[in-house]
Amino acid sequence: MTALYINDEEVTVTPGTSILEACRENGAEVPYFCYHPELSVAANCRMCLVEIEGWNKPAASCCTPVAEGMKVRTQTEALEKDREMMMEYLLIHHPLDCPVCDQGGACKLQDYAVEHGASHGRYAEMKRAVVDHDLGPFVSTCMTRCIHCTRCVRFADEVAGTGDMGVLDRGDHMRIDGIVEDCLSSELSGNLSDICPVGALLDKPSHDVSRPWEVTRHKSTCTQCPQGCDITIESRGDEVIRIRPEKDGMEPWICDRGRYVYDAFRSEQRILEPKVRESGGLVAASWDDAIGRAVELMKGKRVGIVFSPDWSVEGLTSIRLLNDAVFEGAKVAFDLHRRDMRSFAFEEGLAMTTQQIEDSGQVVILGSDLRQRLPVLMQRLRKRINAGKPVSRIGAMNYRTNTEPTKDSLIRPRDWSAVIAFAMQQVSGLGKTAAGMDAWMAGVEGRHEAGKLLADALMDDSCALLVGEEIRSHEDAAALIYGLDLLMRACGHAEAGKDGRNLISEGMNPQLLSSVFGDVRTSAGELFDAASNGELDVLLLIGSDPQGDGLFSVQAKQAMDKVPLVQVGAISGQISEYAEVQLPAAAYSEVEGSFVNMEGRIRVAENPLSSLGAERPLWKVMMRLIQDMGGDIPAVNLDELRAHVIRFAPQMEHAWRSSDELMITAARNNTATHASSTKAPSRSLDLISRYSMYREGAWVRASDLLSEAGCLHALDDVLVHPNTLAGAEGERVVRTSSGEQSVHVGSREDVVPGVLFVAKRGVAGDLSSESEVDFVGGAA
Amino acid sequence: MSAVEQALPQFSSKRLEEIKTLIARYPHSRSALLPVLHMAQEDFEYLSMDVQKLVAKTLGLHLMAVREVVTFYTMFREKPCGTYLLEVCTNAGCMLNGADELVRHLCDTLEIKVGGTTPDGLFTVTEVECAGACAGAPVVQINNAYHEKVDAAHMDVFITEARGQGGKK
Repeated sequence: MTALYINDEEVTVTPGTSILEACRENGAEVPYFCYHPELSVAANCRMCLVEIEGWNKPAASCCTPVAEGMKVRTQTEALEKDREMMMEYLLIHHPLDCPVCDQGGACKLQDYAVEHGASHGRYAEMKRAVVDHDLGPFVSTCMTRCIHCTRCVRFADEVAGTGDMGVLDRGDHMRIDGIVEDCLSSELSGNLSDICPVGALLDKPSHDVSRPWEVTRHKSTCTQCPQGCDITIESRGDEVIRIRPEKDGMEPWICDRGRYVYDAFRSEQRILEPKVRESGGLVAASWDDAIGRAVELMKGKRVGIVFSPDWSVEGLTSIRLLNDAVFEGAKVAFDLHRRDMRSFAFEEGLAMTTQQIEDSGQVVILGSDLRQRLPVLMQRLRKRINAGKPVSRIGAMNYRTNTEPTKDSLIRPRDWSAVIAFAMQQVSGLGKTAAGMDAWMAGVEGRHEAGKLLADALMDDSCALLVGEEIRSHEDAAALIYGLDLLMRACGHAEAGKDGRNLISEGMNPQLLSSVFGDVRTSAGELFDAASNGELDVLLLIGSDPQGDGLFSVQAKQAMDKVPLVQVGAISGQISEYAEVQLPAAAYSEVEGSFVNMEGRIRVAENPLSSLGAERPLWKVMMRLIQDMGGDIPAVNLDELRAHVIRFAPQMEHAWRSSDELMITAARNNTATHASSTKAPSRSLDLISRYSMYREGAWVRASDLLSEAGCLHALDDVLVHPNTLAGAEGERVVRTSSGEQSVHVGSREDVVPGVLFVAKRGVAGDLSSESEVDFVGGAA
Repeated sequence: MSAVEQALPQFSSKRLEEIKTLIARYPHSRSALLPVLHMAQEDFEYLSMDVQKLVAKTLGLHLMAVREVVTFYTMFREKPCGTYLLEVCTNAGCMLNGADELVRHLCDTLEIKVGGTTPDGLFTVTEVECAGACAGAPVVQINNAYHEKVDAAHMDVFITEARGQGGKK
């Protein structure tokens, strides 16, 4: 440790810390613009000057490391003079238009001008004006206000990895620019308006809407992806103005999906009042009438329940309570992306924390478009790559990551078992083995050399496997995931009987779901088939959109044609055209409740937004249904409900009493073994449904802002490698197990040959239910 | 397909060899940016956006990193210039010896503004900072040659001769 004096007070800090950081840690105020704790040091604003005893001129504290016995002063008359001169210099071309600037009231330049600036300007010459740019739907610019701190440039280089901001020209003509009138290509672009210390880069959707002092801040958890980032929702009345990352949260950034989904909160898709279907259309009704209709449809019937994993812990538990109280033996499903029907074959969620993943010796991404799927985790991995730590990837497409992975291997989904078997062969050749590994290996015929990459990574002291949607949605998923667990155990990264891999979940709360629904759940596909076959009388859908998302849109449609649908939710989605009754439940921003993210980290939201309409928290809707269906109400308040949560998931016990960071782990079925399927593929092309962060999820589809971004970043709906197409790009007829259909096919070099990538929208929406297809007329 | 991958102008294979040798001299390929930009300007006459993309791709840099350097240095041109680029030094020494009048005379004779190119594509006139040849002020750099102690008459002769050659240097 290094000891130094800041304003005559002795402090100790880690060697190598900058003076500015030492001051920040010890509560000494030093003004700065260009310094940002998450970015590299540029030292170009010169605002953080401090005096050091024995130095003949002030030093920029952000780029001066501490030294033993150093005597630093942050408040002297000479420094005040220096700061005043710096402010005068920075403000020379600044338009001083605070009254019309969105940043006003939350602006460093404004604060420091008051604190350190002169009371009047001496500059009487012409000021320059700078042309503004169009940086896409999320960032608006007023470049005349820019003070050239280059935080945005460093953000684009180091965090987003896109490098699409830069400093052009020099001297008096110097300006910050994006790539020639192109929109920003980063999924983290919304953070730019947060890191700009002045009013140059502003949040476009909330431009000219409100003032920082008018908003109320609500701490909450984002449920748009399983990362579950800590967010602050800024609202004025019941209107959401902005969503930002929580200041003291786990991550300094949030993605555009989580940030801009808020316009869906007030969209036409919101279910804000109870509705019942009358003469073909949904019409508003009272709670009593709507509940009455729902009860009439469901009482004494065989009910199937499909729900979204993104509800709060309390909401999810109340679904289970409803099931136990009035629908005993009902089929319950929440996973719309799982094809492997083997019951309870695998549980989702990470076995490591994101910090452990970032710190481990090797990271391998297996079959995931991680930048789209978990943008914030991908950002952590990018930081790793930039620091020279390896991140390798095996998958069906060179998914864009904005920083090249260290090693890369393209494989078809049908090769996964051969890849894992090859890796097993390699590690067992080096004397590593685990119980069951030889049998698993013997069950797989082929070997694929991409397994070498996996084996190499596993031989490191520590290794993290991130298992993505290509494996989770695989027909042989259970065996593949079990195989990866065996590999991790063999190489000493996981104990016998423990998960080794980190299986990225479909939604929030994976650990809780396995505890609460472990014994009653079934697959969504199975449930829809049961409804189509007349084994169910009615479907109760709680907050998911099986028609817009997931692998079962065709089966869902067939089921809806057979049985009536009771919909409970916050957002209607495409499925609502079938709903007989709609009951409004509060959105994630509007409930007092707890959320568990993919790591198992618990967050409790305590000051929700007020309701926009007649919606009630999900658990209250569930209790009302139990009551009207004639059951005994298990809980009348949150405390009673939470007692039930603890009954299912004892790990949650301290969640509401302790202020400590709490983690829970998933309940596992560790005794099962799963051999790889020996079924030979019947068609020539494997099909992968491609995930897009701007299109997946009913909330996102209801958001105009994200839809606009989705259009800007869209690839072709259906994609193959050019060699697979044999030159015939355009309309092609695709043969699937359920018939033939004509689709428009585009080509990309970075897709593995032999795979058809499908985006879930338009005509391709139905294709995404398939796992294998053929081109009619043959493929090369 | 991203914009960078679209059909770009290409370096000759000989040039690529040179660039390879150049990159090998430095710890990072980024260090070779300045000399490669000079080569590109020599090969393609000016650094259009496509040429900048080519340079970015060749050195494995973001396009923005190349644009930052190109716009910083005034000797890199982003627009085509005439066959004869007349760069008039207007710093103190040359100014005292009539550089301003020279610029005015050139612009009037060629009927263009500073920075402009004549419609026949023969001449471009620009003002530059000190050419480092104050002893010969005023100095006009025409393509790669310095013309020292020039006056309006001298330039008129040059212009007439250049026009006579019909665009051949």
